[in-house]
Amino acid sequence: MTTVTFNRERHIKYFLRCLKTFLPSFYTSNDSNRMLLAFFTVAGLDLLGVLQSKTTPEERQGYIEWIYHCQVPTGGFRAFTGTDFGADNRTPENEAWDPANVPSTFFALVVLIILGDDLSRVKRTECLQWLPLMQRDNGSFGEVLGPEGNIEGGGDLRFCCFAAGTRYILRGKGETDVDGTRDINVENLAAFVQACQAYDGGMGEAPFCEAHCTAAVDSLYLAAGHTYCAMGALSFLSRMSKNQRPPPVLLPGAKEFESLIRWLVSRQTAELGEAEESDEEDSPEADEIQKPPTADEEFELNAGLAGLPSIAPPTEDSLRYAGFNGRCNKYADTCYSFWNMATLAMMDRLPLIDAARNRQYLLEKTQHIIGGFGKGVGEPPDLLHSYFGMVALAFQGEEGLDGVDPALCISHRAVRHLESLPWWGERA
Amino acid sequence: MEGKYSSDPEWASIKPIPLNDGVESGAEPLATIAYAAEYLEATSYLRAVMAANEMSERALKLTEDIISMNPAHYTVWIYRAKILFALQKDLKEELEWLNGVSLKYLKNYQIWHHRQVLMSRKDFFPSPPPKEPDFLMEMFAQDCKNYHVWTYRHWYVRHFKLWDAPRETQDVQALLASDVRNNSAWNHRFMLRFGPRDDEPDAGMPNSSGGASEKGRLAVVDEDVVDAELKFAQSKIVRAPENRSPWSYARGVLRAAGRPLSEWKEFASKFVIESQGNVEVKSSHAVEWLADVFAEENGQEAVRMLTLLKEKYDPIRSNYWDYRIRSITAQEVSASA
Repeated sequence: MTTVTFNRERHIKYFLRCLKTFLPSFYTSNDSNRMLLAFFTVAGLDLLGVLQSKTTPEERQGYIEWIYHCQVPTGGFRAFTGTDFGADNRTPENEAWDPANVPSTFFALVVLIILGDDLSRVKRTECLQWLPLMQRDNGSFGEVLGPEGNIEGGGDLRFCCFAAGTRYILRGKGETDVDGTRDINVENLAAFVQACQAYDGGMGEAPFCEAHCTAAVDSLYLAAGHTYCAMGALSFLSRMSKNQRPPPVLLPGAKEFESLIRWLVSRQTAELGEAEESDEEDSPEADEIQKPPTADEEFELNAGLAGLPSIAPPTEDSLRYAGFNGRCNKYADTCYSFWNMATLAMMDRLPLIDAARNRQYLLEKTQHIIGGFGKGVGEPPDLLHSYFGMVALAFQGEEGLDGVDPALCISHRAVRHLESLPWWGERA
Repeated sequence: MEGKYSSDPEWASIKPIPLNDGVESGAEPLATIAYAAEYLEATSYLRAVMAANEMSERALKLTEDIISMNPAHYTVWIYRAKILFALQKDLKEELEWLNGVSLKYLKNYQIWHHRQVLMSRKDFFPSPPPKEPDFLMEMFAQDCKNYHVWTYRHWYVRHFKLWDAPRETQDVQALLASDVRNNSAWNHRFMLRFGPRDDEPDAGMPNSSGGASEKGRLAVVDEDVVDAELKFAQSKIVRAPENRSPWSYARGVLRAAGRPLSEWKEFASKFVIESQGNVEVKSSHAVEWLADVFAEENGQEAVRMLTLLKEKYDPIRSNYWDYRIRSITAQEVSASA
């Protein structure tokens, strides 16, 4: 068996290429996620430890200017410059077509932090005033404020997580009001998130949806693992209220906590969906035993049971590569290594996974020869899978990568910069 | 260069607003994309009509053009809905159009949200459109686990109160018959049988806001439904014993009914046959089930089952099985202390 290596130099080249040249035109369908793509690019180079050495201070200042260029006059950030029809044209009647976007506001703040900006030009009060306007009565958050102040976008966990994260960054660890700004309804948000836990222990997009670990199935339209987002939201809330008892799903020993742990570790799988395993199906091959239907169910059950073969224990060879899937009975995918591991890290249970087999999977099966990571075996690299592949490896201490905060999803170096900001220092 | 819009007299009155990526004010744009000229032109007209808040046929057509190039554009969908309502367009026609778009872009979030927005209009859709389930099944024929479609179907059931509609169960049955590992179909079945009804807030389990002992439990239990569902799960387990979905489903059903896992001790034992010190295993999920039952009654036996998983049948999760073993051993120590 050859030793596998993390090809740091190739990944640096990949991320630099994404930073300094145009992304190919098929990224047009992700035009409205440019802030997210910007995050992956900048955060990737930071994680590789080369953001300072491979870019000039002028370039970094230029990136900071671009992020501020995406700030909406009424607070918060747009997800791409495509909606901006100019400050001079903006009126209360048309501003709904160029709204601040909840996930992008979080990512814009995080990119500014990584780039070393002090957030002094962030419309902090306006942004914190806008957040409660994005919250529905049931506790959930929307994506943007539409015409007539309607909260638009599905009421799902992604928006909950990024709203809680934005609040965390802009309020600091303290809970006191900022300039008397009304806060979001924390209790309702926490209740909504916990109500999303499904019968199998995982978290659905919204209550009673199948437990799931990502929505970024196809390309990069809006990266989110719902279970990750649920725990991210609760983590941000509980980091800010240290004196309160954490919710059961964050409490070791509680049924909610342990059933989620069971769900998360069950996501690790040696089913990789490689070409030789199946033709085109998006799910592991069925081992279903076909039986003709009979009238007597009881008889069929017992007869079926008696005739079942015993299973052979898996061989070491068949388990050499084990990544993670996002839902029960699906194939492994690079980004799910991140979603599941980050959630386990937030729950302080990361050592429960099989790190060695996950490493084998990522480095031998989805790490790409030209740098970056693909979604699955033999797939071309993209920004989302490249960043999340690296973060997953960073969680398990891969050499050449900085450590990562699982909720903020940025390097410890960047977190230290955040914690040095004035409103963080005051209450520390 | 003459573009599709700049050369069209219908658009002559509009002064397009080009993309401003901030370069002139000193910004170094991030995540720049090599846009096609058609996209750049169309979006510059979109910004212009949005700035004018224009509610018109031509703007409606423009949104369709943009959607064909970037279906994830989040404001163009909201804008389109607003125009449709302002022009009092026939939303049934819009739904037909949307069907085609949905089949073209299978993994898109905005499309399914737009469908919810349309379907919420009681004046057009006072009751579920008869062809809706057929279309959803057409989507599942493309990808039977498409998360967006399942999320929409969940919403659709709640919106039109279809928990007991025969068609819902029929479709779930058909999907499970073609792939018994379709966890999405199992989840939908659980929602139909045990989901909160319209007088309760939506949640992932019955009584989701209840305390530790009540969470996941139905206030009123129809034992016949519970028995039938448990039997249904068994019949599917026998056909694919390593399929985790029906085992999880049964856990959820028992929890909803407030009945113990030990009820399936005998059933699970049929997959774990012991003779003369040897253990023959027909399903690793049955071993896990027995471990959970024994954890309540007999720590030593539970550890024996967990060790079987750790060392033989599920070594990928050996750290987890160890964690479970440690928690049982710790309980026993504290109990005997």
